[in-house]
Amino acid sequence: MNVIEVNDVTKIYNGGIKTPKVTALKNLTLNVSEGTIFGLLGPNGAGKTTLIKILLGITFQTIGTAKILGQDISNYRVKSKVGYLPENHKFPPYLTGEQLLKFTAQLTGTYEKNVNKKIYELLDLVKMTKWGKTKIKKYSKGMMQRLGLAQALVNDPALIFLDEPTDGVDPIGRKEIRDILLDLKSRGKTIFLNSHLLSEVELVSDRVAILNKGQLIQEGTVEELTTAKEVYKITFDDELNNEQVNGFSDYSLKPEGNKSYSVKVSDPEKLNKLIDDIRKKNINIKSIVPLRKSLEDMFISLIKESDKENKKYFNNNG
Amino acid sequence: MKNILTITRLTINEALARKNFIMFFIISTLVLLVILGVFVSTDIEELIGSIQLKGEKFHGDILSQLSQFFRLIIVMPLYAGGLFISIFSVSSFIPHLLEKGTVDIFLSKPISRPQLILGKYLGGIVVVLINVLYLVVGIWILTGWKFGNWDPAFLSTAFSITFAFSVLYALIIFIGILTQSSVLAMMLSYLIFFVLSPLLVNREKIAVFFGGKVLSVILDGLYYLIPQTSELGTITSRIAGADSIESFTPIYVSFAFIILVLAVSIIIFNKKDY
Repeated sequence: MNVIEVNDVTKIYNGGIKTPKVTALKNLTLNVSEGTIFGLLGPNGAGKTTLIKILLGITFQTIGTAKILGQDISNYRVKSKVGYLPENHKFPPYLTGEQLLKFTAQLTGTYEKNVNKKIYELLDLVKMTKWGKTKIKKYSKGMMQRLGLAQALVNDPALIFLDEPTDGVDPIGRKEIRDILLDLKSRGKTIFLNSHLLSEVELVSDRVAILNKGQLIQEGTVEELTTAKEVYKITFDDELNNEQVNGFSDYSLKPEGNKSYSVKVSDPEKLNKLIDDIRKKNINIKSIVPLRKSLEDMFISLIKESDKENKKYFNNNG
Repeated sequence: MKNILTITRLTINEALARKNFIMFFIISTLVLLVILGVFVSTDIEELIGSIQLKGEKFHGDILSQLSQFFRLIIVMPLYAGGLFISIFSVSSFIPHLLEKGTVDIFLSKPISRPQLILGKYLGGIVVVLINVLYLVVGIWILTGWKFGNWDPAFLSTAFSITFAFSVLYALIIFIGILTQSSVLAMMLSYLIFFVLSPLLVNREKIAVFFGGKVLSVILDGLYYLIPQTSELGTITSRIAGADSIESFTPIYVSFAFIILVLAVSIIIFNKKDY
């Protein structure tokens, strides 16, 4: 079941007298399955936050339709099953952490008799128990993020939107947040994660989408996105000498370090022929695996490619 | 309704967290203490005697008239001063709510935009009512104790003052949604309260002085368009002085103003991107 369905959504911000119109999202179609962690990546201004805001009714789409948890986003009641941690949030500074969570429980219609127990379970989850009775204005950025995550979970949501959840959090805190996300996923929650920290998204996400200038340029599992097509990494028992490296006229071996080389082959048959050629030369192969790029490398190359195409399009069409 | 009450409660918390309302409370307490001091140090018989020496004549119940006189001279500054502080205190409620990072939190919850605005509106009114009630009840108790006049009608001045505030607060919400500027909302409210409304009460004299039918029509239009806070002040003073209210029209017009301005505010808020 799709928990999020975005169909052909376009968002155009009307400019003012001195500012031009901005297309924040362009014909975006996207689905997110139940019980997964979905990472949304993109450079600044790609439209990531706009998409979340549209799904939560904070901003309205210009065209297109969208559903969350099977209901149209215009139905505000559906948000009782949704949690949200906004980027650069400002919680009322005069409240304590405990009061904020109680207030959130009231707003989401989940305030019950045992709300205190629930609140302290959440504060414990985000390691904020001892700060529960302290006013928010005294919190550090990292503490605010932890509290923000707790408030996003108050109503035991089925769908959780997190916009830069680890912003300002130290490495240990980030690891803790990652563990919380994985735990939530194991309990069947769907998490929509918006982050510019690619390595983090790579570590927790089941599927990833990349936005650039409001357009979806790639979507898939982390493995699908990071696996370079037709490129393999061959590791040998020993380092090859120059003669051996250049001894394959039909292939080009590129050193990848540590007795490993990458090679591009157009089909599996050619890969088998290469193996035969190597073996004929009595070189021992230790392993052959499809070459994987890091998410960061893939992200940068995709964005560059997309920018190039956009430029070409504008040059051709004036 | 539950959502509106939740927002109302948060707005009250917000108001209490601000020093302005605490200042309002402290000033009210000081005013009550000063009145108490004056009453304790004043002998009623001497007071009546000295007034009669000056040639003033009382008809009927002297004590009752004295208590009404005191209530009147206290309530009118309270009307002006109380509204001044209240406007100052609430003018930032909507701009704060609409700040990036705050509005996202509220709008992401299962609460509709009209509920959010109505909750904020009610919250501001409740806070001002509490403050005004504190002062009005305090004055009522002190004058009742001193002059034995326990006429409960005086207590309704708390509601007439709060009603005048609620008219201006509707306007503050409208300006806040439209511009997100607390300063503009505050300035416009003060302009209406201290300048335009008192001027428009005398619109007929102004029209006669400057001449011209067009001006007369414009002034009449403005009179019915903007909140009639001067008239509401007059109604408050008549209640304080135990006089009957001559015309309820300002109350009806102001009520219509509140409904209209809040409706327009909600329509605009419903369509805005944040």
